[in-house]
Amino acid sequence: MCNLIRIAMCTMVLASTPAHALSVFACEPEWGALVQELAGNAVELSVATTALQDVHQIEARPSLIARMRRADLLVCSGADLEAGWLPQLVRQSGNGKVATGAGAFMATEQVTTLERPSQLDRAAGDVHPQGNPHIQLDPYRVLAVAKALSIRLAELDPANAGEYRRRIDLFSGQWQAATARWEAKASTLKGRKVVVHHTSWVYLLAWLGIEQVGALEPKPGVPPTSAHLSGLIETTKSQAAFAILRAAYQDPKPSDWLAARTGVPAITLPFTVGGDDQAKSLFGLFDSTIDKLVAAAK
Amino acid sequence: MNWDGLDIAILGPACAAGLLVLATHVPLGQQVLRRGIIFIDLAIAQVAALGVIGAQYLGIDEHSTSVQFVAAAAALLGAAVLSWTDRRWPQYQEPLIGTLFVLAATGGLLLLANHPHGSEHLKDLLVGQILWVSWPALLPIALLTGVLLGLIAWRRERLDGMWFYALFAIAITASVQLVGVYLVFASLIVPALATAGMDGSPRLVAGYGIGIAGYVLGLVSSAVLDLPSGAMIVWTLAFAALAAQLVPVVRRVHPSRTPVQPR
Repeated sequence: MCNLIRIAMCTMVLASTPAHALSVFACEPEWGALVQELAGNAVELSVATTALQDVHQIEARPSLIARMRRADLLVCSGADLEAGWLPQLVRQSGNGKVATGAGAFMATEQVTTLERPSQLDRAAGDVHPQGNPHIQLDPYRVLAVAKALSIRLAELDPANAGEYRRRIDLFSGQWQAATARWEAKASTLKGRKVVVHHTSWVYLLAWLGIEQVGALEPKPGVPPTSAHLSGLIETTKSQAAFAILRAAYQDPKPSDWLAARTGVPAITLPFTVGGDDQAKSLFGLFDSTIDKLVAAAK
Repeated sequence: MNWDGLDIAILGPACAAGLLVLATHVPLGQQVLRRGIIFIDLAIAQVAALGVIGAQYLGIDEHSTSVQFVAAAAALLGAAVLSWTDRRWPQYQEPLIGTLFVLAATGGLLLLANHPHGSEHLKDLLVGQILWVSWPALLPIALLTGVLLGLIAWRRERLDGMWFYALFAIAITASVQLVGVYLVFASLIVPALATAGMDGSPRLVAGYGIGIAGYVLGLVSSAVLDLPSGAMIVWTLAFAALAAQLVPVVRRVHPSRTPVQPR
């Protein structure tokens, strides 16, 4: 019994001692994985969501606030993706370091976003003024984010700047080689057409030259109308879409429904790191995504 | 196990929010249970949300304070309708409440079909998250709770008809946004149900005791087990209610249950 208490106390002490120079709070698994690539064990990392969660909405847990209070750097997508919970979490933590400035790193602010509305019209529905935030499936944007993030890490933790530079150089080389490999593998997909669940694949599709011909739920959270669905069955068939794409966290029912009526296969892509068994790292995420798309297109 | 979240700066505001909600909901819950209109809180909350969606449909800014007044006005209107049906068709009150609930919920969907911006607000109205509560946000709620408690104490035996429905509508509109619909339902029903065999002030005291135990236990377990706080508190409230049955004063064998006579 005494031993048990000692072990418990030791664990508490270990857990509360800041052994790392920086404490990083990543909102999504893809940015957590990127921090892992760029900093390794030099930082303490905690990731707020998993691939099987809808990052638009997460449940409040006390540990999230506790981790946010400790954070020196926030790595998130931005562009309103986390608007439903991140501002409240930062406010609740009272941690001024990550509220604005160097401690708040938003991936979408490092690249140009797609689907940026030319004019803001509220009646158009769920428009994001900063564009589509799901940038993690374009390797070029991921590399741009990686370079900016590495510089930010070195700024905040100059003592480890050499290590960060070594790691970003290594990552860039491997990533560019992998990108060439993925592009070669996916070359057959160019010009093919897909239907999507939500419009969360624009960057992947733009990169691979795949055309999106329809979306099951164009307005998130609002069930599609019957006119929209019958039009979509027609488009899926007439445009010869080769697949219906959904993310691992999304409900399979709508895409299965469309698949059953059109004979076009619905495929589940990992969408982010941890979305399937193969997607254990950023490299695995792209390997799995490309493999599944190519397999469906055969 | 996770000891990081066990921090008064994190759990303090949430705990205070819970106590404020309990303050009005324990006495109101006894009324709800006595009248057998269990789902009235869901219906009123849904009507308040419908009011907010309607206000946005008409172009009122979703973040302005006037939205709160629209929500309260819609809830009061719903309460007025239910108060009237209670007098007109008392035997059908429960099914009428259920019908109002589905009408309000689906009415929101129909309005949102052309205006998806309201969907975020609808969710905020229905699944408030207790951990996001801040001290400044609690101040108006504390004032409102004081006024409501004063009115409840003043009406005491005569808390019926329009009085009950109006007080209830205001209390629910505020508490649902603070802690969410599940916790509001549990705070109303569970302490009242656990003390169903009691009367008067002992019942109130027992109800408050169960409620406070449930909230504190729930917040601590959600911190230690790293689980969502709202859902955890619902379960610890139920646990506290069951544990209270071990106290002889709380548990009372209902005399109406007579054993079946052997043939």
